[in-house]
Amino acid sequence: MASPASYALRRHQQQRRRPLQDDNWVRSDGRGFHQCRPAFLRTGAARAASGSAYAEFGSTKVIVSVFGPRESKKAMKYSGIGRLNCNVNFATFSTATRGQESDHKDFSSMLHKALEGAVLLESFPKTTVDVFALVLESGGSDLPAVISCASLALADAGIMMYDLVASASVSCIGNSLIIDPAAEEEDCQDGSLTVAFMPSRREITQLTLTGEWSTGRIHEATELCLDACSKLGEIMRTCLKQAVSSST
Amino acid sequence: MVGLSAGEKNFIRGGIEQDLRADGRQRQDFRPILIETGVIPQANGSARVRFGATDVIASVKAELGKPNPLQPGRGKVAIYVDCSPTAAPAFERGGGEELSTELSAALQKCLLGGKSGAGAGIDLSSLMVLEGKVCWDLYIDGLVVSSDGNLLDALAAAIKAALTNTGIPKVDVGVGASPDEQPEVNISDEEFLQFDTSAVPVIITLTKVGREYIVDATSDEESQMSSAVSVSVNSHGKVCGLIKRGGAGLDASVILDMVSAARHVSQKLIPLLDSEIDAAEAASLAGQGSDVDP
Repeated sequence: MASPASYALRRHQQQRRRPLQDDNWVRSDGRGFHQCRPAFLRTGAARAASGSAYAEFGSTKVIVSVFGPRESKKAMKYSGIGRLNCNVNFATFSTATRGQESDHKDFSSMLHKALEGAVLLESFPKTTVDVFALVLESGGSDLPAVISCASLALADAGIMMYDLVASASVSCIGNSLIIDPAAEEEDCQDGSLTVAFMPSRREITQLTLTGEWSTGRIHEATELCLDACSKLGEIMRTCLKQAVSSST
Repeated sequence: MVGLSAGEKNFIRGGIEQDLRADGRQRQDFRPILIETGVIPQANGSARVRFGATDVIASVKAELGKPNPLQPGRGKVAIYVDCSPTAAPAFERGGGEELSTELSAALQKCLLGGKSGAGAGIDLSSLMVLEGKVCWDLYIDGLVVSSDGNLLDALAAAIKAALTNTGIPKVDVGVGASPDEQPEVNISDEEFLQFDTSAVPVIITLTKVGREYIVDATSDEESQMSSAVSVSVNSHGKVCGLIKRGGAGLDASVILDMVSAARHVSQKLIPLLDSEIDAAEAASLAGQGSDVDP
């Protein structure tokens, strides 16, 4: 066994094996398998943006700003519907080892796909709305946090949407399905399922799955995610209502 | 992008509704699949796959490298896809980059399994040479030569064929090196290890047009889609990856229905691909003549 090169690596290695040893393992933060981390949501995190939101799920912290609609760049082809320009960045200090954040190049396109089904693009023709997300601390389930936070920021910016988009992920470790995995749980997962969901319309806007799954398991995991998304949707709605009532 | 008149659009949609598509196929039929292997002599393994007018090449290069300290017992695999501007003018100067990243990410999700390595189509521990010191790095490169829809499925098939075609040189590790040093390795020119590709899944993209969904959509049909779901299925009928691609939202029951449809299609597609790959391998061996005999 090679000796770990740094403190950060050692921490990962210790926790990687632990859950697989027995079936009665407990999650590192003491949560039940089907229990999400507490969510903290706030709109209006960045002054300069048309709309913004800050979200905290346990140690995962993200901030999303929405700018626009602005005129699309001249080089772009004419488009009768609006464009959504999504960009997800990781702060260099967001992960335990610096430089790990480059694993997530596809997050921007995933965010775009999760949102495009919810936004009424035809309501801002010929223009572009920028959605910039920054992960301040990567504590697991980063993409779901970014998606939920982005839809909140879009709502704060007054961009028309069919519904809010809430997102959740499930990790499969051994025989257990655990919802809203933390970073160390994600590191040892056998498979994962991420769902972005519009709770009121009951439509899935994005769904990705990795690892080997039977159909029954997919069903079970999807149900878990949808349930969590519906609950998160309520919290997001409350957050928006609070923001409006406190400003008037 | 495809420019279609209203009449053509109606024709495509109507055909799909009546289970008779513009090229005479039914909704769950693939276009004729042509596979050639060993097309790139510079690579350790390669394949060219054509689904109708969609034409892709996959190559596998193996290089010796150091394993990731977090996973000392496993080799590494990188998958990249390149969309050449020869396929479509839109791919010029970074125009294909978005599509390339999307396809690469989708292939990685479907072929490499979970973070712990469970359910991976490519067994990373078989790429191990010396634990924690030396492993094989596989570079899998896909190239889109000509694009007429369903790129992801074609690329996955090409990668499966290219991996079957891959011979990894046998490596002898020099003994006696102290644990801190990088050991000496001897790469054999004659002995090659074949790669086990029975676990490599196929990808089936179901494109939803109107109320129905179709497999192996052409780009004309893709332009009419409301949303698409790519499902990767292995030979045991297990789902190894799933990605919803763009477009409108879907009800959960529709997605689960699409998954079972994909599993149904895979039962026909996997044996078909396997026999095509075997035939291609036999042909490429025969084509090499008698002077090269691996």
